[in-house]
Amino acid sequence: MSRAFRRQGDHIRMQLDPVEIDLLRSLRDGLRSTLDGGDADDPVLRRLFPATVVGDDAADHELRRLLYDDLLQSRLVGLDALATLLDRGVEHRGHVRVRLDGEEAALVLGVLNDLRLAIGARIGVESLERDDLDPDDPVAYRLAVMDHLAWLQEQLLAILDPASVAHYGRPGPDA
Amino acid sequence: MRLAGPAATPVKDRVQQLEEVADRDRPWDVIVWDDPVNLMSYVVFVFRRVFGFTEDVARKLMLEVHQQGRALVASEPREQAEMYVQQLHGYGLQATMQRST
Repeated sequence: MSRAFRRQGDHIRMQLDPVEIDLLRSLRDGLRSTLDGGDADDPVLRRLFPATVVGDDAADHELRRLLYDDLLQSRLVGLDALATLLDRGVEHRGHVRVRLDGEEAALVLGVLNDLRLAIGARIGVESLERDDLDPDDPVAYRLAVMDHLAWLQEQLLAILDPASVAHYGRPGPDA
Repeated sequence: MRLAGPAATPVKDRVQQLEEVADRDRPWDVIVWDDPVNLMSYVVFVFRRVFGFTEDVARKLMLEVHQQGRALVASEPREQAEMYVQQLHGYGLQATMQRST
């Protein structure tokens, strides 16, 4: 598989297959509507807006309430920015290319993480025994999607902060 | 300092006030918890961005989270601790704060 992200001078070129673009759009739309739904008991919202204070329920409630609007707003901005970036894609030999500046690349990294967290929360990844899954189980597909987004994240990290992947991003004896 | 004579505030209340001042000075610990989704490299990246840690410090703390389930990443006055929790939540890390013991 060709690399999805490549540094080009002070920019980063994102190159995705049309099927990846469709996948990102549908994941993005799904999370957007979950956030718009605002159901505090939804596992995705519980994961994206987690506990803040330990040992003091009143303080936890108060701080969560204080942080919620800002956190929600920045997540919505990220999701909408991703949609705009994908719209900006230019077709190139069967791929779609998007030119990102450093800030946009960091934003994509964060949105990819939110999308993975959302899938993980939806399928209950915390208590999942991956090895026991039937390959035809839809959950196995969701896990494969998470892995794919992780692979995209690792490539972005290698460009944005090479030190962060120094020993973990590469396959090999010390990975 | 004040002149000798009866205090305007009962002793009990003054002790209470003193404790509140001492309490305000006690720092808050910011803890990051392990999570099966966040990538190890991503956590290192976030630690470096949010706290400006060196690569070594960021990696050591990330491994502590990974192996021990949690790590103390900062000990700060309340407002600063809240800011860190907000930033870490923005990046999708599970971070909580509690009074330092």
